Amino acid sequence: MNSTLDRRHLPSEKYKRNAAWLSALALVVVGLCAYFKFEPLLLITDFHYLVNLVGEMTPPNFAVISTKANIFSSLLQTISMAFLGTLLGGITALLLAVLAAKNTSPNPVLRTAVRLFLSVERVIPGLVVLLVFLIVVGLGPFAGMLSLWIGTIGMFGKLFADSIEAIDPEPVEAVRSVGAGRLQTVRFAVVPQVLPSIIGNLFYAFDINLRAAIGLGIFGGAGVGYEISMAMKLLRYRDALALIMLTIVLVFVFEKLSDALRNRVLGQDLLR
Amino acid sequence: MSQPITYAGIRRKQTAQTATALVLTTVGAYLAALSCKVDLGVLWEGGSKGAEFLGYFFPPNWSAVADILTPALETVLLAFLSTIFGSILSLFFALAAAANISPPWLRGLSRFLLAAERSLPEIVILLLLISALGLGPFPGVIAMSLGCIGMLGRLFSDAIEEINPATLESIASVGAGKRQVIVYGVLPQVLPSLVANTIFRFEVNIRLSVLLGAVGAGGIGYQLYYSFATLQYQRATTAILITLAMVFASERLSDFLRRRVAPAQKL
Repeated sequence: MNSTLDRRHLPSEKYKRNAAWLSALALVVVGLCAYFKFEPLLLITDFHYLVNLVGEMTPPNFAVISTKANIFSSLLQTISMAFLGTLLGGITALLLAVLAAKNTSPNPVLRTAVRLFLSVERVIPGLVVLLVFLIVVGLGPFAGMLSLWIGTIGMFGKLFADSIEAIDPEPVEAVRSVGAGRLQTVRFAVVPQVLPSIIGNLFYAFDINLRAAIGLGIFGGAGVGYEISMAMKLLRYRDALALIMLTIVLVFVFEKLSDALRNRVLGQDLLR
Repeated sequence: MSQPITYAGIRRKQTAQTATALVLTTVGAYLAALSCKVDLGVLWEGGSKGAEFLGYFFPPNWSAVADILTPALETVLLAFLSTIFGSILSLFFALAAAANISPPWLRGLSRFLLAAERSLPEIVILLLLISALGLGPFPGVIAMSLGCIGMLGRLFSDAIEEINPATLESIASVGAGKRQVIVYGVLPQVLPSLVANTIFRFEVNIRLSVLLGAVGAGGIGYQLYYSFATLQYQRATTAILITLAMVFASERLSDFLRRRVAPAQKL
């Protein structure tokens, strides 16, 4: 009789649950692939296109860096967009965060309004902001910089406000008890407590913005992103590969640089 | 003979350092402003033009909702599919990049590949794939899946390196092979953090797919860009509103799911 079958020879409840979840997930994935006519097999059958492309791209034509006059300035533009966008965005985000934090905001109505603004602004995609700025200031790095500025405010306004709300209240009371006004309290009790985390986050924001500047450049007509997409459109694949490799090195170097700077700034008590 | 350390001396040194940092930042900002062609006059003039222009965006063209909802859904599905593929790929790279599992040469190699991928923006990968494979969701999914690897691979491998080595040793000591150590020792310990990071990446991919769509991966990003390019601004407003709702919903969902999967996880 089957009823003598021992429970421990059957799959456990946990195993069955996991198996059910995984099969459901697999089904969804397969269904989606079918819906998009996405055949993983295409990767194999169309692989020769990729190989062709690689063939056309190599060897990278590094001469483009010296022969085309504006490559260097377009790299500089990308870096500048990211730097200014981060700096201005960070300053604006800090100002708004002071207004949005419960313990520093001068007025509850203003606080709610700023909070609401920050949370709506956070979800606006960078592309939309860029398209609007393109109309306002025209094609070029300025539009990209402005949209990174807006993006940085969205990324960090709420975060900064939260970190201001999480500070130790005692220094605030101490400073206030000796007669400091609102601005003095912010300067001497709030800023010293949150500045290290803000600076750390801004270096992180710069890394993100540098990548975003490359992408936005494609639409904004500025920076190295634009140069790459132009080279691809003109089928100058060997130029494109040289530019891509240059970009990778650039982003990599700046990431290391911003790591080193962050450790230097945060390591010594420069900010107390 | 060294100077005695005094409060005034420390203050002076700090002031000097702060001043240096401020001066350097200001000079950097000035040079960057030159390079970016910052022109407040243009912004001021454009501001009034822009304000007038914003009028064209209203009222939103509600009749386009039906046209745009399908691409929006496609964007979500593309992001989902890419996140699944990307996280599976990332896991392999992460195992190869974790110091406690893989040999030093393999670890160095995969760390290097992960760092290189992180420096390569997804949009560049997509441009490459579009030239090889043509437009459409297919290159989009591949670009986004590959785009996950740099970030998720790094986070996964950090999580794997943080696990308690005693567990791995005890499993290895009863005769488990490498694969068994990974399946029974590593994966159960890192799973919550893997899932939490993957869900977070889903949110990133939703935002990303808006941008990638505009370049040619389809979905709502294309609708958005197309509406702007054909001056159908009221239709663009509809697309923007749907995008906002989509991004907002994905953010809420990812917050909620992450809290359920890993209550103590900080991302």
